[in-house]
Amino acid sequence: MKINITPIISALTRQRGVSGSLLVDETDGVIIDATLQVGMKGPAFAALAASLYRKARLSAQAAGLGDVTFLRLRATEGYVCAAGKNEMVLVTIADARANIGLIRMEMLKALERLVL
Amino acid sequence: MISVAEPWVEAPLKRFVDDARVTFALLIYPSGQVLGQSGFSRAVDVMSAAALAAGIHATVRELGRTLDGKGFRDVFHAGAKRKLYLAEAATPRGPCLLLTVFDEQSSLGLVQLYFEELRTALGQTKMQVPDAAPMLDENFEVELNRNLAMLFGRAPGRRNITPTS
Repeated sequence: MKINITPIISALTRQRGVSGSLLVDETDGVIIDATLQVGMKGPAFAALAASLYRKARLSAQAAGLGDVTFLRLRATEGYVCAAGKNEMVLVTIADARANIGLIRMEMLKALERLVL
Repeated sequence: MISVAEPWVEAPLKRFVDDARVTFALLIYPSGQVLGQSGFSRAVDVMSAAALAAGIHATVRELGRTLDGKGFRDVFHAGAKRKLYLAEAATPRGPCLLLTVFDEQSSLGLVQLYFEELRTALGQTKMQVPDAAPMLDENFEVELNRNLAMLFGRAPGRRNITPTS
């Protein structure tokens, strides 16, 4: 089934406080598709976020906790959220005023549509 | 273990290897002359890899010119377990090539990210680079053998760094 990725990614960016969203190949750490604000270092962020998600996934598996369903990184000025499936990672960058619960729900729904 | 034939590449190459967590790294001139290496244990392997990398670079540069009007900037090959990345960086001594091999401990994105830092660092070494005579065809083999001997500690001027991990 053919999926148009861009509208799904763009829809996430329309959430309040979200400044960028990316679909990243977990193994290679390169961008599949992204919607980012001007000035963001997309390739660098994608590589580091994919590495972070991969290490979190391996840590959870090593601890016997199964797969990572959702990863939230709290920084001083915002959040990095990631969810992955089938070697793809959906990553969202949000500022401190973002509704993380809503973003989480939208990301998991988007991921289901992306990896079908 | 990192070893270098020219001291000005030592710090940037070590930082790249540490950050990107690559298995092998080989810094050469496009002619195949070796500047530094990490991960290789035998001179013959370095010599082979340098010659092959120079050949690959020459090939893809011409392929890029034919297809796109300009040479391809980098090459990536994904093997079953290991991946190879070959890219060019400008230095005060002219262009050089980085051939690197990595496994699941790293990724293409990370290697590209830290290669950009290496490229910047090599490009900013202008004041530290000593003058050197241009390499001529007739002394290529002598220079290559001298550099390999330096890399593997068989000549004066050996510069080794303790193992990184």
